[in-house]
Amino acid sequence: MHNRVLALFAVVTVTTMIVLCTPFLVAQAPSGTKSFDTTATDPEKSIKAAADRAKAESGAVNWTPPRTAWGDPDVQGYWLTATYTPLQRPAALAGKPFYTEEEAIAAFKKAVESDAEVDPRTVHYDWKEYGMDGWQSPVRPNRRTSLIVDPEDGKLPALTPEAQKRQADARAAARARNPQVGVQTLGSLYTRCITGNNAGPMTRGGAPGSDSAAGAAGVTAEAQLIQSPGYAVLIMQSNSDARIIPLDGRPHLASNVRNWLGDSRGHWEGNTLVVETTNFIAPGTNFLGATQNLKLIERFTRAGPNTLRYEFSFDDPSTWARPWSAETLLPRVEPPLYEFACHEQNYGLMNVVKGAQIRETEEAAKKGSAK
Amino acid sequence: MDIRVRPVMIGAAAVAALWLAVIPTEGQAPSTGLFPSYTSPRTPDGKPNLNGIWQAFTTANWDIQAHGAQPGPHPELMGAWGAGPGGQSIVEGGEIPYRPEALAKKKENFEKRMAVKATNDPHRYDSGEPELQCYRPGVPRANYMPFPFQIFQTPGEILMVYEYKGAVRTIYMDPHREAPTDSWMGWSNGHWEGDTLVVDVTALNDHTWFDRAGNFHSDELHVVERYTPISPYHMKYEATIEDPKVFTRPWKMSFPLYRRVEENAQLVEFNCVPFVEELMYGPLGLYKPPSK
Repeated sequence: MHNRVLALFAVVTVTTMIVLCTPFLVAQAPSGTKSFDTTATDPEKSIKAAADRAKAESGAVNWTPPRTAWGDPDVQGYWLTATYTPLQRPAALAGKPFYTEEEAIAAFKKAVESDAEVDPRTVHYDWKEYGMDGWQSPVRPNRRTSLIVDPEDGKLPALTPEAQKRQADARAAARARNPQVGVQTLGSLYTRCITGNNAGPMTRGGAPGSDSAAGAAGVTAEAQLIQSPGYAVLIMQSNSDARIIPLDGRPHLASNVRNWLGDSRGHWEGNTLVVETTNFIAPGTNFLGATQNLKLIERFTRAGPNTLRYEFSFDDPSTWARPWSAETLLPRVEPPLYEFACHEQNYGLMNVVKGAQIRETEEAAKKGSAK
Repeated sequence: MDIRVRPVMIGAAAVAALWLAVIPTEGQAPSTGLFPSYTSPRTPDGKPNLNGIWQAFTTANWDIQAHGAQPGPHPELMGAWGAGPGGQSIVEGGEIPYRPEALAKKKENFEKRMAVKATNDPHRYDSGEPELQCYRPGVPRANYMPFPFQIFQTPGEILMVYEYKGAVRTIYMDPHREAPTDSWMGWSNGHWEGDTLVVDVTALNDHTWFDRAGNFHSDELHVVERYTPISPYHMKYEATIEDPKVFTRPWKMSFPLYRRVEENAQLVEFNCVPFVEELMYGPLGLYKPPSK
């Protein structure tokens, strides 16, 4: 069933691709859209199935993974990064890092119901027509109330004075431009098809579908991890981004060589694959405002036969007063991934920029006539 | 396009059977030119080990057929930087068997190779050389772009990551999988014939070209690739190109792939999307916000 859901999802992705990048683009539903599997279109059934899957894997804490033929722990597979858990702990849950199992299911149910405000079985026109909602994937409830586990309050640390000034300067620069919007000044690297949603940290949490930024956690959220002797490779469904991770202890690229996906190096700590990524091009809003000084550490551990524990930490003294860390569990999903040729048909970008420029012109005219 | 997959697989099997007949010794590559016969080292699961970073050193990306050195399209701006090197053909026999109308189209392609068409309608692809616009190169072109690519072997899948645009393709070894729809890099299923990795590539769209010279294909393109290790540092690459809409018969290309042996050699990201934004969106007034 999951296979079919994912396959349908991915075909939609392949054939429409960039529309996903532009949540505020209203477009026609593709003709010939298949009717969905009933179990994946009924939120109630999906919630129960998700709770059962979470329960089935929750016991396997000290699970020993199989080994590859050359003796490394085997962390390979297709994993889902979608989650309904927000990156930061909501104020109402202050002091409560964990839900009980029942509370976790109730929170999951609430998130799914708000995500499923449109019944996919009815004829309707919205951007979700191009992709499945998060709850139609094997996403699971999570006992954590935030992805951030450090600091203990589940919140991002304070911005440094330098970062505050940087953000104020950027806002002032944007105000000084008229019109403000051009391809070059768009905040989102995803809208420009430079990187996908899962570049850098594979998830940024959130309630998929509830807004464009958080929606990123729910669409095209599959990632494949493969290993060959001396290497691990991460391939994201989103934008088909691939990160090659040498495991042989070699040094990073020269510090003046900068990549959008950074430069990754990995090593094993017990059964955990630890990956350090540096040499980023200033990643900006796509990495929560981090700078090119970001050191991203990710830890991949098999928590069970069908679960990968994914931990990541941000160390960027130019942005946050202290490093911070987040953690989530990624459910296994069925292969394969599909080509996500984002830039090749990025007609959404043109519509978005054109539309925004027209809106700015109208607003400027309104202001002018009000004088 | 899915319908096309099965007959094509049968065709590939027949072609493969013919090739099998000319391989002298199972598990050993035939000697080719400078190289004595060679047996590749094995992966832990006993298959020929193709892991590594590889690169073609041909000028086929400018023109897969024989060509002299030539100035670039804007010599007044780019001088020698924009000029193209001369080189020999990678096409077996030198000639590409175009249908007459297709040959005219190839010439037209060359004439308009610099045309860029950023539109939000399907005419987007009725434009010039796809590489100029940072589109995925397709197969076989990805293998002779002037950039390295890396092979990662697992028993079930072989992954190829290309430095150019970070394009990826997965070759399904076991199980084979059916193409969901056409795509830029196509859909690859593979098997071993002795030391040779044979890859059947289908479901390629019709938006890619073979080179900057305008050599092209339709969405009926079917490519059978053969990767044969001939030394620890070389592979022979062969591809049979079949496209009844464009060519009167199947034809073949071949060239060597060289292993990149530099210490700590790695692919360095070549994400060309930001390099083409001004070219594509500037004329539409969408690239930079105009100054006040």
